[in-house]
Amino acid sequence: MSNHIKYWKGEEELNKDPQFLAAQKNEFHDDLPLDEVFNEDGVELQANRRDFLKYFGFSVTAVALAACTKTPIRHAVPYLVKPEDVTPGVANYYRSTCGACSTACGIEVKVREGRPIKVDGSYDSPISMGGTCAVGQASILSLYDNERLANPLANGAEQTDWTALDSEIAGKLKGLGSAKIALVTSTIHGPSSLKAIEAFKTSYPSVDHVTYDAVSYSGILDANEADFGKRALPTYKFDTAKVIVSFGADFLGTWISPVEFSKGYTKHRQPSVEGGMSKHIQFESAMSMTGTNADFRFPMRASQEALYVATLYNYIAIATGAKQIPVPQQGELAGNSIKKTADALVKAKGSSLVISASNEVEVQKIVNGINMLLGNYGSTIDMVNHSNQYKGSDKKMAEVLAGLKSGSIAGVIFYNANPVYNHNSKEWSEALNKAKLSISFASSKDETAAACQYVCPDNHYLESWNDAEPRKGVYQFTQPTISNVFNTRQAQISLLVWANAVVAPAKDPFASKGIFSQKLQASPYYNFMRANWSALLGTDDAFNAVLEKGIYTEAASEGAVSYAGSVDSLASFVSANAKSAGLDMVLYQGVGVRDGAYANNPWLQEMPDPVSKVCWDNYVALPKALAVKLEIAEGDTVNVKVGDVTYNNVPAMVQPGQANETVAMALGYGRTHAGKVAGSVEKGFDTIGVNGYAFVNNTGNRNFVIKNVEITKGDDTYALAQTQTHHSIEGRDIVRESTYAKWQKNPKAGNDMPATHIYTIWEKPEYRKDGAPNHLWAMAIDLNSCTGCGSCLVSCSIENNVPVVGRDEIRLRREMHWIRIDRYYSFNSTEGVLTKDTEIAAADDKGNFDHWQNVNVLHQPMMCQHCSNAPCETVCPVLATTHSTEGLNQMTYNRCIGTKYCGNNCPYKVRRFNWFRFNDNDKFDFHFNNPLGKMVINPDVTVRTRGVMEKCSFCVQRIQEGKLKAKREGKSPNEVQVLTACQRACPSNAIVFGDLHNPESEVSKLYKNERGFTVLEEINVQSSVKYMTKIRNNDSI
Amino acid sequence: MFPNMIARNMKVWMLSALMAVSVSSYAQDKPNAENGKKLYEANNCGSCHALDKKVVGPALRGVHTRRSEEWLVQWVRNNEKFRKETKDPDAIALYTEYGGAAMNIFENLTPANVLDIVEYIKTAPEAKKAAVVATDANAPKDDNTALYILLILVAIFSSVLLVLARVKNTLKRVASEKNPEDFEDMHAPKKGFFEKILPGKWGKKNPVVLSVFTTVILGGLGAYYGFGYSISEVGVQKGYAPKQPIAFSHKLHAGDLKLDCKYCHSTVEESKQASIPALNTCMNCHKGVQLTDKYNGEISPEIKKIYAALDYNPEAKPGEEYGKNPRPIRWVRIHNLPDHAYFNHAQHVKVGKQTCQTCHGAIEKMEVVQQKNTLQMGWCIDCHRNAQVDVANNNYYKALHDKAKKDIASNNSKSKYFAADGKVKLTPAMNGGLECSKCHY
Repeated sequence: MSNHIKYWKGEEELNKDPQFLAAQKNEFHDDLPLDEVFNEDGVELQANRRDFLKYFGFSVTAVALAACTKTPIRHAVPYLVKPEDVTPGVANYYRSTCGACSTACGIEVKVREGRPIKVDGSYDSPISMGGTCAVGQASILSLYDNERLANPLANGAEQTDWTALDSEIAGKLKGLGSAKIALVTSTIHGPSSLKAIEAFKTSYPSVDHVTYDAVSYSGILDANEADFGKRALPTYKFDTAKVIVSFGADFLGTWISPVEFSKGYTKHRQPSVEGGMSKHIQFESAMSMTGTNADFRFPMRASQEALYVATLYNYIAIATGAKQIPVPQQGELAGNSIKKTADALVKAKGSSLVISASNEVEVQKIVNGINMLLGNYGSTIDMVNHSNQYKGSDKKMAEVLAGLKSGSIAGVIFYNANPVYNHNSKEWSEALNKAKLSISFASSKDETAAACQYVCPDNHYLESWNDAEPRKGVYQFTQPTISNVFNTRQAQISLLVWANAVVAPAKDPFASKGIFSQKLQASPYYNFMRANWSALLGTDDAFNAVLEKGIYTEAASEGAVSYAGSVDSLASFVSANAKSAGLDMVLYQGVGVRDGAYANNPWLQEMPDPVSKVCWDNYVALPKALAVKLEIAEGDTVNVKVGDVTYNNVPAMVQPGQANETVAMALGYGRTHAGKVAGSVEKGFDTIGVNGYAFVNNTGNRNFVIKNVEITKGDDTYALAQTQTHHSIEGRDIVRESTYAKWQKNPKAGNDMPATHIYTIWEKPEYRKDGAPNHLWAMAIDLNSCTGCGSCLVSCSIENNVPVVGRDEIRLRREMHWIRIDRYYSFNSTEGVLTKDTEIAAADDKGNFDHWQNVNVLHQPMMCQHCSNAPCETVCPVLATTHSTEGLNQMTYNRCIGTKYCGNNCPYKVRRFNWFRFNDNDKFDFHFNNPLGKMVINPDVTVRTRGVMEKCSFCVQRIQEGKLKAKREGKSPNEVQVLTACQRACPSNAIVFGDLHNPESEVSKLYKNERGFTVLEEINVQSSVKYMTKIRNNDSI
Repeated sequence: MFPNMIARNMKVWMLSALMAVSVSSYAQDKPNAENGKKLYEANNCGSCHALDKKVVGPALRGVHTRRSEEWLVQWVRNNEKFRKETKDPDAIALYTEYGGAAMNIFENLTPANVLDIVEYIKTAPEAKKAAVVATDANAPKDDNTALYILLILVAIFSSVLLVLARVKNTLKRVASEKNPEDFEDMHAPKKGFFEKILPGKWGKKNPVVLSVFTTVILGGLGAYYGFGYSISEVGVQKGYAPKQPIAFSHKLHAGDLKLDCKYCHSTVEESKQASIPALNTCMNCHKGVQLTDKYNGEISPEIKKIYAALDYNPEAKPGEEYGKNPRPIRWVRIHNLPDHAYFNHAQHVKVGKQTCQTCHGAIEKMEVVQQKNTLQMGWCIDCHRNAQVDVANNNYYKALHDKAKKDIASNNSKSKYFAADGKVKLTPAMNGGLECSKCHY
């Protein structure tokens, strides 16, 4: 293998587990699942030969007879009055703002015949810059979720009449008189929403608005309030930072604004970038997605973070001549790495950035102090044009709980807040019983809504009007792209109605719409918002122009904030946290399910975790040393005990990179009132995973680092659905990497393979030759940019109608994703990279398993490589897979008879077989199994049936659309613009797709890059996907 | 689109004018009701007027009692001039009553013609109560119950017949055993079936062998052609011409009135679908054109279905015509492609410059639309092999065009791009138009 680095994807592969080896030999090692196939059609079958023949004979006859029946009558129902801007068969795109979390990325919604079918980033938004995260991509399915409430609920009973409900609730609100009411919301930064809340407060002066985020940034906010007199998150500018040091912050995956940060971060991750490659140093306990991308990653005990940060402060203070924090020096901390980190930071003074995920004010104050010493305020950290994305206060939330319990707060209203699930579950349930009035705006009957008297379901964000101010002076707008699917009402309207503050519109915006004008009615909240913007955007034209763009920006403010902080007083805190006994547990947000609000979304559950590649579960991630000590192997479970909270038999997994003496568990699981997918006690669906919020101490700022965790081996076993070693390619040259210093000497570093002698019986086809008139589609993927976030994977599934298969099928290696992100580990000991099996064995024998804490990670997106000499094409007996003159490897479903020869012969293992019919099948009860969920299906792509192969098509439907547009407009082939779904979603611009026959295309340029290599070049399949060798900036800190 | 329509309408008017002139030459001094009827029809008076009912214009019966002959002549021939020059209060009142919707100008009619028409109105028989009732705008329901009952009956009777024949034979045999003399011919040596039909020694072969042989041959051929045929015809709906909820006639609109197909199927050049027009497209014309003359003063029942679907009341005050209960029309889809085949109209009509008739047949002659072609893949492919792509006038194909011209220059008539008419021949097939992923994805 290249560089002689030993790469491995999972422990089973590293240890050459016999079961793994057997499975790896044969991609389709299972027998045909005849039982299941027949059960799917409601036929009981004990698979014996006679029964099979009986049913086979019957089926043939039945099919023959069925073929004689008349074709069903199909109808076409055109519009009565066609909206001017809708052309059936052509998509419309609307700018809007993602409402999946309060980060508020600007998005572009693709709408076909009135139904939104895809969400992508808006290029005009400084928050998304055209990218999206996996959650944003998947959020569209929550619009078509059957678990949404169809009507408001009053004391558990469905109401259909909002007017009656409104007068009842308004009566009760008035009835509370001067008793306190808490309005608990997640972070809201939309000026109009805030104004609506003010209007509500004017009518009900006893209302107190409390902001609560499930995973809050109270630590940073409080520290900034103390240091700068401003309770706000700064705007971090990763695009200007040359040295980035992160203490546990997963800023590429989940921390504050991951899409914005990914876009900025990857700007300086190519070695060829002007000003040189940035350096990224990560200190963390759990292996985060951001950690996998770091140049240097040092294991850290999470409970000792204060000490680490203080030590770093002191080294920088020494270098800059500032006063140190009087704490005892801990020379042994992470080798000498903190000193080296400090040197690197000081060298990059003014263009460095230090962040921490800690929710402890003291730690954040030290971090502020470090950034102050480094002069980063004003360059990489903008406190003037601050972020509004998270404003929650843990302390205030604790006060609400106490108030409800004591009776000093009589009423409570929840908007985007679910504390019964993600705060102190038991105490909230009791507190809500005491409340005289409890209202939830939840769109489904979640844990909190189930305990409330009234549920007034909010619209989905794609059905709503709204505005947002994610950063000071950056205003983004949300506009509805579909009329309400259910009898729901936007929460802002409910507040305005109860406050009797609904504004009449200045004029009816639909007055000029001719017939049916009486059918169209502007949303009262549109009128409210429009009035709110009347000063800045007075005319309809001005307002509509802003809506079209989705954004309105004010000029960034100049100036500086004054630092009034001091770190001297923190010495005692640091000393108190310097030593810790017992195990630490880090509770983190997974990149897919995050804080759990979207747990019922099957796309997110099925997305493999970027690091562990586990789907559909959370688990306890253990360091190898602990696993060995507790004798825990793959498939075992553990019992976790913290204080009086115990979970037994939680699946365990050895996580390379997990710091010794720490374990980790993802939040967002253990939902009891989410629905069919994530679990519902009420409806009898199993809960997925366990609820990590139960371990959190809710007094003060909620700390997600839990100390003194007791872990014992569980009695049970549990097979996690983990895709990490599926579709493995035995020890061949798949990924290539090198270091920045080597690359600077030789741009082909790591990619400088001896020429392989290729003998071929194939001639170079006409269409591949230069100057051929047709297109030649190809892709280039930069391994330096790819962060492994999985946004492409979800985007691809949505675009191409890829079915969700569920946990059991993934255990059988039958996931259907057309694109997977292969994650490779390699050991990285203090002496260097471990390259040989014997070296690894020797290191293991030492018994400390330190090398398991230090792994390098490589992410490699893998999809059909569209080989020019495709091995799949030559073995298909029915010519179902063929090659096009545009370089595409075509898969024709209606021809495929399912021999799976192509899959067997594919060297990249990217072909997926439909073992079942995944639509209208109760066995796979996800969105393909109900009419509402099917609304999200892309009408331009076939929904595949049982028994056919499928794979990445390079989004051929988009290619055809792009070509047709050029042809219709008489443009030249070089002007054809096609973005594949994965490329469109990528928040780090890692994927580039285009036409190799166009010398000006970005992909043509990348094909000439010295870093470019094709996977398995030596077998001469002539693939159409080029990868750029990964260059790590890890020569020296 | 609109100027186009107006131009076409103008043609109709001019034609009527010519006819009117020719008719008028036979006019007598005394008003002639028969001639009046002809003129009434030729000038499409019925588009806006009915005899006994207010439609777009007022009901005409008894008009001679309301207005003087002179007034009528002036109004009909040029109501605008009449109104503006004489400022006749009745004329202005009438104009305002109908919301300022001016009547067309008919200067082609002589004063005598107008009086003929008035005479016709005077003498026209009283309308019978219209018997046409708008039917439910739903798709026809194929009711095969009668057919099934018939088939079952046939099956029952056939089995009864068989049983009876069997009984008869048994009885006959029993009888022959009792009285053999009465049934002598029954026992005479019989010529076998094959001996009867095959000549010479062929007929004397073992009948079992012959039966097997014949069965295999006939059965084989039957199975081959029958099965092959039925398989190839599964899902093929050539000739499918279902009854539609509205008996819309393409013959009338596209054929006789020569409306441009794209006037209604307006998305055909930009979208995958040609689109069945929304009803507001129909209303562009049928707000006025109601064909009341054809239906004794009632609005055409088919047009009424449009009104019903839109919940439109033509007699309501302006601004209040549309009610709150519109119901979309469920047309029966005629041309159905399976989900795995992608077809795009824009590609074929706008880029490939194909006419509608290429695939849909002479649609302008169809009273009821039917599927003219099989829509099978073979049919698509045939066209992709033979059709010409207009590469010369589209910048997208420039490189292809240049390559083809170069090829012709060096290979002359041997070039695959060579076409006898001197243009470059380039079929979709030559540009990858037969590749799977062009239609299947």
